[in-house]
Amino acid sequence: MIARVFIACMASLLLSPCLRADTLDEIKKRGVIRWGGDEEGGAPYIIGGDDKTRPAGFEGELMEALAKKLGVRPEFKQCDWANLTDLLRGGEVDIICNGVELRKDRVQSNLCTIPYFVNDLQLLARKNDGRLKSWADLRQPIQGDKWHIGVLTDTAAERFLKENFAETVKTKDYPGTTQAMDHVRDEQLDATLTDLMAANTFGNRYPTLHFVGETVGRGYFVIYLRPGNERLRDELNAGLREMMADGRLKTIYDKYQIWNDAQLTLVIPEVQQLPDQMRGGEERKRGWAVIRENLVTLLEAAGMTVLLSITSMPLAIVLGLLIALGRLFGPAILRAPLAVYVEVIRGTPLMLQLFFLFYVLPWAIHSFVALPDWWNHNFALIAAVSGLAINYSAYEAEIYRAGLQAIPAGQMEAALSLGLTRRQALRYVLVPQAVRIVIPPVTNDFIALFKDTSVCSAITIIELSKQYSIVANNTGAPLEVAAVTALLYLAMSYPLSLLARRLEKRVPAINA
Amino acid sequence: MIQVSGLCKNHGSLAVLKGVCMSVQRGEVAAIIGPSGGGKSTLLRCINGLERFQQGEIQVDNLKLSSRPDGEALRKLRQHVGMVFQQFHLFPHMTVLENVMCGPRLVLKQSRAQAEPEGVRLLERVGLKDKLHCKPEQLSGGQQQRVAIARALAVKPDAILFDEPTSALDPVMANEVLAVITDLAKHEQTMLVVTHAMGFAERVAQTVHVMAEGQVAESGPADQIFHAPRTEVTKRFLMQVKTS
Repeated sequence: MIARVFIACMASLLLSPCLRADTLDEIKKRGVIRWGGDEEGGAPYIIGGDDKTRPAGFEGELMEALAKKLGVRPEFKQCDWANLTDLLRGGEVDIICNGVELRKDRVQSNLCTIPYFVNDLQLLARKNDGRLKSWADLRQPIQGDKWHIGVLTDTAAERFLKENFAETVKTKDYPGTTQAMDHVRDEQLDATLTDLMAANTFGNRYPTLHFVGETVGRGYFVIYLRPGNERLRDELNAGLREMMADGRLKTIYDKYQIWNDAQLTLVIPEVQQLPDQMRGGEERKRGWAVIRENLVTLLEAAGMTVLLSITSMPLAIVLGLLIALGRLFGPAILRAPLAVYVEVIRGTPLMLQLFFLFYVLPWAIHSFVALPDWWNHNFALIAAVSGLAINYSAYEAEIYRAGLQAIPAGQMEAALSLGLTRRQALRYVLVPQAVRIVIPPVTNDFIALFKDTSVCSAITIIELSKQYSIVANNTGAPLEVAAVTALLYLAMSYPLSLLARRLEKRVPAINA
Repeated sequence: MIQVSGLCKNHGSLAVLKGVCMSVQRGEVAAIIGPSGGGKSTLLRCINGLERFQQGEIQVDNLKLSSRPDGEALRKLRQHVGMVFQQFHLFPHMTVLENVMCGPRLVLKQSRAQAEPEGVRLLERVGLKDKLHCKPEQLSGGQQQRVAIARALAVKPDAILFDEPTSALDPVMANEVLAVITDLAKHEQTMLVVTHAMGFAERVAQTVHVMAEGQVAESGPADQIFHAPRTEVTKRFLMQVKTS
């Protein structure tokens, strides 16, 4: 019943924007066109300034020019790049414009303008890496392993590699261009495939990297709109054509040093007709057919979620118990540092800790030691498991501290009076009792950790939430995918609750 | 066997023990009586090394306990002196038999096979042979205290200290426990018992010490203390006990 209500609510949320009238009249009436993008992408796309609603960057300036043509003011709305199409669908913004590529699956559920930028992809690798000098080198596996190449999640670069180099290349999903470049520099990755523009803009920050091979995978940036906004699209197209014709577009691109000969093709009719061509063709799969097609990837991602949880939680528990024992019974010299550890770890977000482990630590270590390939290639998983374990160890430490303190002092005295050492008293008398006291809160934490594994998508791990977001964004069945994902989560966490309930009832045997 | 001399202990500025001297011979049963707050329990806890003291000396057999003992010295001492607490302090996560075997297995390093027959024998001795595999929570207070006595006996201490062993029990259960202690006395187990059970002290103890205000007011054979007390403190205390 609750599920049915939930689905009904979701459906109405998803459908409501489609029922709206043409947005153009609304925009003119309110005098503001709202557009979505992700400031985190930074230069040269969108560069935040004092006025959060009027950023600079070539897309910021493009929007200023287009809004002026409509006779309104642009208003920028920040959103995580990966969720921009959701933002558009939700009706928060009128259009999205932030390096979003022209793509078949997107034009089938959205309208879009003519291309405003020609985007080529460039491979970046280390200058001193003799193994990788051309695209041909990528055809050969290295030492029995695939090449590890960083890409932005769900971009043309990822698709290009998956379509053309699936046998010899493993793509790693990054939330930002420079983070992937960092990891190429620090030898966590073999190379990164990125927009030529980004490679040009950020390349000079990385003197040890260079361009490898010719540009590939030509794509086009377009502005997306909700369906039914043909009039708004036509006005935007007119504005873009005008800017191409009178050189204003080139002026903006020159200012950000992103103009190249490829941009000359923007005015060719074949290029401008691309969106219409893409709309045709076979109908995209919808509904449960999408689930059938993606069930295996979703299950694999669920497997990653389980793997992260069941490896990190035991580590967190052991670490937490040791910390609690150290704080309560350890030498005085240990107590202050352990208290600081708990406060620092508890007081900072998991996301930040994962970022530190994954992006900052390798950079610091890299200059001192060369780490083996297996370490580098599994580093995301290592960082995710240790990050979760460290983060939760602080919480477990506090739980165990409370558990140990709840045991009457007489227990320790009785154990000592028998002649047990303090260590024995802790191991055989206090800790077994504390374990039982803390089962409910620890289970609670386990379920929380289980869901917190989704944060690991920030460091290239693809677990269930991330996979959901990818599948939901790329298919015409967000509702079905959401339902299946929710079911998978429930199917994993409910047995945990049951197990915990049984553990609480059962009193484990003590080997004393 | 146990020699306490000039023992002083403060809780902050409050003097709890003010130069206590006392000795217990091997095979002797000694009782400590006296008004509450007189330092009886504190003295016992000092002898077992559960509390530190500032001055004086405690000697058990040939082991000397200084005011700053190290862990190893304390452990040795505790193997010679067992302790039974007012609140029993059985280990709730172990069965009755496991409680009793805990000391032999962890301290005397016996295997389960070695420790079990002795554990069963001790529990038989305190009348709990049919409760071997019960959890402490399933037992009455008197039964729990008898398990605690068996647990203390299991490591074969030279002496056992009892800290008000029957104060948390109703009279029927108290009698069960006192019967066990009386039985031990017949077998010449050295014991030092802090108690409010005057009848028991008179019947079982050879020596009775009266403690008040952190000092030993009077020591002597049970007969003499109860029937011909020499100090005002003892007389007043016995009067109070009688009228209450």
